[in-house]
Amino acid sequence: MTETATDPLSRDRSSPPVAAPRPAFRGLRRLVSWDGPMPWLAPLIALLIVFTIYPLFYNIWLSFHEYAPFKRRLEYVGFQNWATLWEDARFWGSLSVTFTYFVVVLAIEVVLGMMIALLLDSDEPGFGVLRALLTLTLVIPPAITGMMFLLIQDPEFGVLTYVLEGIGVLDGQSPILATSSTALLGVMLADVWQWTPFMVLIFLAGLRSLPQEPYEAAMLDGASALQTFQRITLPLMSKVIAVAVLIRGIDVFRMFDYVFVMTSGGPGTSTYVLSLYAWQQTFSFIKWGYGATLSLVSLAIILVIANLFIKLAKVRW
Amino acid sequence: MRDSDRKQYAARLTQRLVRREISRRDFMRSAAALGLGAGAFGLGMTRPFGGNPYAMADNHAADLRPSDEVLAWVKEVSAPFKGTTLKLATESTPPSNAINSQLKQYFEEASGMTVEIEVLPLEQVLQKLTLDIASQLGTYDLYYIDQSWAAFTARDVFDPREQLADKPDLAMPDWKVEDFLPALVDGIARYEDRLVGVPYDIPIFIFMYRKDIYEKMGFEAPATLEEYYTQAKAITDEMGPDMYGATGQMKSGHYSLECDWTAWLWGHGGSIFNSDGKFSGNDAEGLEAMEYWTKLKETMPPGVTGWTWDGQGQSIAQGVAATMMSWGEFFPYFDDPEATKVSGLMEAVRCPAPTKALRTVDQTGYGEIPGVGHQGGSSLAVSRNSKNPDPAWIFMQWATSYDTQVLITALGGGTGPTRTAVYDDPRIIANNRVGPGTTRHLNVVRETIANDMGSEPDLPAWAELANDTIPVRLGKYFAGEYGSAKEAMDDIAQAADAVVEG
Repeated sequence: MTETATDPLSRDRSSPPVAAPRPAFRGLRRLVSWDGPMPWLAPLIALLIVFTIYPLFYNIWLSFHEYAPFKRRLEYVGFQNWATLWEDARFWGSLSVTFTYFVVVLAIEVVLGMMIALLLDSDEPGFGVLRALLTLTLVIPPAITGMMFLLIQDPEFGVLTYVLEGIGVLDGQSPILATSSTALLGVMLADVWQWTPFMVLIFLAGLRSLPQEPYEAAMLDGASALQTFQRITLPLMSKVIAVAVLIRGIDVFRMFDYVFVMTSGGPGTSTYVLSLYAWQQTFSFIKWGYGATLSLVSLAIILVIANLFIKLAKVRW
Repeated sequence: MRDSDRKQYAARLTQRLVRREISRRDFMRSAAALGLGAGAFGLGMTRPFGGNPYAMADNHAADLRPSDEVLAWVKEVSAPFKGTTLKLATESTPPSNAINSQLKQYFEEASGMTVEIEVLPLEQVLQKLTLDIASQLGTYDLYYIDQSWAAFTARDVFDPREQLADKPDLAMPDWKVEDFLPALVDGIARYEDRLVGVPYDIPIFIFMYRKDIYEKMGFEAPATLEEYYTQAKAITDEMGPDMYGATGQMKSGHYSLECDWTAWLWGHGGSIFNSDGKFSGNDAEGLEAMEYWTKLKETMPPGVTGWTWDGQGQSIAQGVAATMMSWGEFFPYFDDPEATKVSGLMEAVRCPAPTKALRTVDQTGYGEIPGVGHQGGSSLAVSRNSKNPDPAWIFMQWATSYDTQVLITALGGGTGPTRTAVYDDPRIIANNRVGPGTTRHLNVVRETIANDMGSEPDLPAWAELANDTIPVRLGKYFAGEYGSAKEAMDDIAQAADAVVEG
């Protein structure tokens, strides 16, 4: 080996560098340099690590441990929490309630949201005000909405109870929120009232950005309103609907506030959703490991459903 | 004027102000003549549920402010702790409301400490307490401990007897555990050989009924549970649906539902656990109790399965139901003409007698004490995780002292005192009249504590059993999800025994 080869100062400057960065390293260097995106993304990434990634991994770790109250420490329990899950009837019951709630609420909010959006899709005077009014329900905290609907459905003085008894739907002996067959519907009502306007706003934004040409062609071809909706509006709106369903679906699956305020999961377990069960196990009974396991199951289900939906609905981000 | 006369006069004066029979100006004049000082009381009225009919001004009245000796003691022992901040999370009960809104200012002034009191629904207090215990962060210096949590908190709080012995220099003169009602010390604050603080408040089941309706129906207060059912049914049959014979706190999954159940269970000779520590609510007596409760529910308003104690109290206050066997601390609220429709119409008596002999403590498990007067008392204790245990101990003694309890009972709307002597204080007796903050039910409370009091068992799993296992399944039963009461109680037995076994 010559001295030239070992002494970089004596290297022939016309020859290529001995250790020139490979393309991958060049990319990394550019990424972290001040000209690259990393310095700007760093705060966000730090926040994600602290508030999302670390808690996620901590939760996974926690699901293999359980808090021992008399020893005042977490103890390793292996897969015990996961095994308990399979045998826990309350878990399966709450999962079933959650799915029922998820499907029904989402379906109602999508259909009702689209119907209202179609009605409000107009430039006539006053419609702008109506559209603005839609945002009002969204700024109310869900716990307050829950309390409102608790009063609306009160068996003694609730206006809804009064109306339903008046038209013979209720018999006066079966309070909506204290009857197993109707309690979940009573909770759903609060959700639908509060969040349908959210769907309406998203759908309206989509409707108002649709091209006019297909509608003009359909009009010339003599298509009915229903045909126009089915053949033009729905296909053109499919991506918007998919995004709205995705965002709202994740929220609906995690619903907690309404049942907490309105029914505490009752009567019995008829409105006991998964998030309420996880909360109860974690915070009321200090079963941190089991609560973490329930949360992870909830997260896994949401991820699977969301990704399946993204694939099936061909949502592009 | 003798001291006792002066105190009674002050109470009557206050009562007239509260009823708005005299103007604030007249009150001031009379108060000044009495030597209370201008500006005493009278900065408006706050009447949240749970009492506080009077609001005291900065310029304190002589009789409804902490005594000078007590404040002098607070000042003396607190000198090294000036600037300390103490934290307590508590349920919205009359004592907590009275201390928080009107009394703690005196303590803060004398001690130089700050006391932060979070007033929350019971289930949130439990959540904060359990988290604080588990994390050992010492966020709260004092714990408000419902009697059903005594077992699992016992190791996390100081035994006041140890504090008295270990810190004689911080002991309040004449502050003794023996001065608290012994039944309450045993029922609320004792777990095995430890004291989990001292009794702080004592909501207890008494029987409250509408005198006018009972007179109209020709009834006397019921002597037995069976008679009670007969009366309740007759009222509902005669006056329903405008008026129901009974009411309840039967919200599925809520602790209140468990409280109602125990009263009927104990009243039928049953118990939650047998002497082997197994759930026994599904035995013959337990099923008799369920049968009774099921038929009594038919006499209650249909909304009863959605109510906790708040809804139950409202159903009386708004004139929907004629009777309730429930927390005595509702009574002063019922007498408030501005808050309810039943002021002066309610009477309080001891609960109807059980249908069978009560089980003895030996026949039950985990220290359960059967009795139709279900007690839901709580204790106040200093957390072992507190970073300020000594200042917290000073506050605790002051908050549970004789002097403060008299003020709490007067200002807090006639809640049941936990100290024997407070019941006989002239300032308390002076409020024995119809009106907000009345104490005319307190003799019934005292008799109930002495004769009828029922206490839940003490075991670490009780919080889960009382707040979930039992009330969720009872809720399912009343929602018609079980084929029979036996099926429901067998299911509870299976689940409860599994929880106890861990």
